[in-house]
Amino acid sequence: MSRRTSAKANRGRMNAGLLAGGALVALVVLTALVSFFWTPHDPTLVDAAGKLREPGGGYLLGADKFGRDTFSQLMVGARTTLYVGVVAVGIAAALGVPLGMAAGMTPRGWLSELIMRVNDLVFAFPALLLAVMLGAVYGAGTLTAMIAIGVATVPAFARVARAATLQVMVTDYILAARAAGRRRGAIALRHVLPNIGSMLIVQASVSFAIAILAEAALSFLGFGTRPPTPSWGRMLQESQELLFSTPRLALWPGIAIALAVLGFNLLGDGLRDFLDPKLRRIRAER
Amino acid sequence: MLSVEGLTVRADATDLVHDVSFAIAPGERVGLIGESGSGKSLTALSLMGLLPEGVTAAGRARLGERDLVGVPESRIKGLRGDELSMVFQEPMTALNPLMRIGAQVTEVMTLHGRSRQEARARSAELLERVRLPEPAQIARAYPHQLSGGQRQRVMLAIALANEPRLLICDEPTTALDVTVQKQMLELIAEVAPALLFITHDLAVVASVCERVLVMYGGRVVESGPIREVFTRPRHRYTQGLLAASKLTPRGTRLPVIEGGVPAAGRFPGGCVFRNRCPHATPECETPPALTGDGHAFACWHPAD
Amino acid sequence: MILYLLKRLAVLLASTAVAAVAVFAFMAVLPGDPAEIALGVNATPDAVAELRKQFGTDRPAVAQFLDWAGGLLQGDFGTSYVTSSPIGPQIGDRLGVTLVLVLGGMVVALVLAVPLGTFAAVRHRDPLGAAISAASQLGIAIPAFLAGILLVFVFAVQAQALPSGGYVPIAESPGEWLRSLLLPWLSLGLVQGAVLTRYVRSAVLDVMREDYLRTARAKGRGSTGALWRHGLRNASIPVVTVLGLQLATLLIGAVVVERVFVIPGLGDLLLNGVAGRDLLLVQGVVMVLVAAVLLINFVVDVTYHLLDPRLR
Repeated sequence: MSRRTSAKANRGRMNAGLLAGGALVALVVLTALVSFFWTPHDPTLVDAAGKLREPGGGYLLGADKFGRDTFSQLMVGARTTLYVGVVAVGIAAALGVPLGMAAGMTPRGWLSELIMRVNDLVFAFPALLLAVMLGAVYGAGTLTAMIAIGVATVPAFARVARAATLQVMVTDYILAARAAGRRRGAIALRHVLPNIGSMLIVQASVSFAIAILAEAALSFLGFGTRPPTPSWGRMLQESQELLFSTPRLALWPGIAIALAVLGFNLLGDGLRDFLDPKLRRIRAER
Repeated sequence: MLSVEGLTVRADATDLVHDVSFAIAPGERVGLIGESGSGKSLTALSLMGLLPEGVTAAGRARLGERDLVGVPESRIKGLRGDELSMVFQEPMTALNPLMRIGAQVTEVMTLHGRSRQEARARSAELLERVRLPEPAQIARAYPHQLSGGQRQRVMLAIALANEPRLLICDEPTTALDVTVQKQMLELIAEVAPALLFITHDLAVVASVCERVLVMYGGRVVESGPIREVFTRPRHRYTQGLLAASKLTPRGTRLPVIEGGVPAAGRFPGGCVFRNRCPHATPECETPPALTGDGHAFACWHPAD
Repeated sequence: MILYLLKRLAVLLASTAVAAVAVFAFMAVLPGDPAEIALGVNATPDAVAELRKQFGTDRPAVAQFLDWAGGLLQGDFGTSYVTSSPIGPQIGDRLGVTLVLVLGGMVVALVLAVPLGTFAAVRHRDPLGAAISAASQLGIAIPAFLAGILLVFVFAVQAQALPSGGYVPIAESPGEWLRSLLLPWLSLGLVQGAVLTRYVRSAVLDVMREDYLRTARAKGRGSTGALWRHGLRNASIPVVTVLGLQLATLLIGAVVVERVFVIPGLGDLLLNGVAGRDLLLVQGVVMVLVAAVLLINFVVDVTYHLLDPRLR
């Protein structure tokens, strides 16, 4: 009883996590947008004279071993991060949602079984392995990283879409629509999708956070964004050998990654509470 | 044996139960009736020391010489399941899904000092006493293998295991099928030592209890022997409740009570029922006291 | 239960087989002929054909696959086209290192997460419980390799207490072995521990609201006793699922952490294989990692069924 009332009270109320997450995500997006028009310096400009320049004098966070401005690199890096995240999550949602919905709408059919089995199999290929394999075949780069992360995220979307669809399918209005002889496709588009939408948004946010982590890890290993395009993960990798002399080079991209991931995670959790407390029953897949 | 005086249950600044007093003698079967939100379940939970987080009880409640309210859990937990037991409303979720029935029954006995062997032997007896078929088989089963009615019998067996002085039942049959309800009620009436029976169902109270307390808005508004209260209700709320339940002879007016039960904390000052009462006058802005010997009521304009 | 076990086992074997086909097919698409790569640009067509025959890459793909898969069943991963050394023993050596890394990381994660998550749930209204939640949220946002770099900075650069990288086999010096693994374990374990803490917290919170916990208290248990006796096993069910997912994540995390700490594990072998265009080696390592993930999922599913009588 008290649980129900408190859940009701939470619904539709902004919580601190949602606000903080939204603010962090907005910060990353804004930084990326601004970087299209303005950065303090050319982030790819190699300047031997400014090698490992200390912070100050127009170089807010200093420069790396090639004399490239760290702050400008971080700004453009935000762009890379978002770009990879959007495409990867887009791929995952575009494939995973229809598959998950199909499985959820025919829970006892062979199709559902097949989809979920394939899903489990894809799940055994983590983004990193896919990226390494793709990189070995087509040459590593932003595109292969995005595809690898996207494909590896498909199972998470499919599972959540299926679980949510299963819940929606037993509600009265779907039963009514089915009794009225509505076609499956129409039911899926008009009734199921809008009702599982909020869960998918939450999943997208959580998956975005994971995509950022994966992109950073791939770039760190050299399977992500190629030089000279700035990427937070590669900035970290380049900074590692200088950890003893210039630790700040690792600090800033590290903070950037952590804040971006934190932002999307908080946003996802906050959205779940905000949109509908009932969604707590279906957890976003990591 | 059980005496409750001035029991008040609070969440934040809101009184959910206000100044409730009553007593139960050994062997007596008392019903506590009211709609949801009347505070009847909280009254019971406060006696067990099982109030939800953020809800606190004040006042005085004693079972024999032992205080039940306002004492730390470490002192009251020895009583729970031993001298004072409770059966809850929802049998489907009240048992641990990962533990065999037998283990859940013996647990309450070993917790209060019986040997494992003795407890195991007795648990078979108990399951038989609550009329479960094939007790040995039930003891080996997991809760999900039992029906709702069977699970509630198991809960009853657990509650009776240590021969408590008082059994509290909180809507024990509400979640059960009608046919199962009746058997369950007969069983409870048969095995209960002394009983505090909580329900919203007047017919159920009438079949099990000797005395009844009517709660509304967190207060006891009327109390007395079942027969008297049901044939000659004095409080206007009780009157409406009986009328609505069609227990009264046909032809009486007022089939339903106007309006709905307010949310907790939204009850009017003075008589809590006055905003729904057709007989309310300005006098009702002063809270009426529960008065009367035997048959007591708290109303400025009682029915005759 | 036995039926379930058999069914699940069949699924495991089938998935592994399909995964093997997938891995092989994927690598077979690869442009570039191992024989040409091995001989360089100036090789004569005859020599290339000769080497192809020697490698067996002149045969149809199906025959090659059956050959490879048949070898796998006997633990034979083939012979590298690049280094001409057998791949199986290399993988065997490295697998041990990676397993120690992953299991150590898991232990760190569990030791952190179970008490902290439970505590945060029990004290969810206290500032301390909230602080643990906030800290775990922050921990999730830090990738393992970043945690590794930070740990190196603190313990190797600043405190100079531990090596910044490298690996000492246990046979050489158990003490140094431990020292060389401490930071890698922590980098994997801290991050996964943060994730796990959140799951433990929410699982315990869910269980704390269950009716059967109230029943246990009504029997005469205190709230701690009830949680201990009736709550934790129930809470462990969702946690076990997450644990399995995490083991898979850890395995992959280990690949990156090995690179940070220069540890000769499977990840290192894989990345070297890619760099050296050693296809068969890459194929073998990928297969081992994928099979490991499938096996972990299998174990998780079975454990889940053992824990929950409702599924038996």
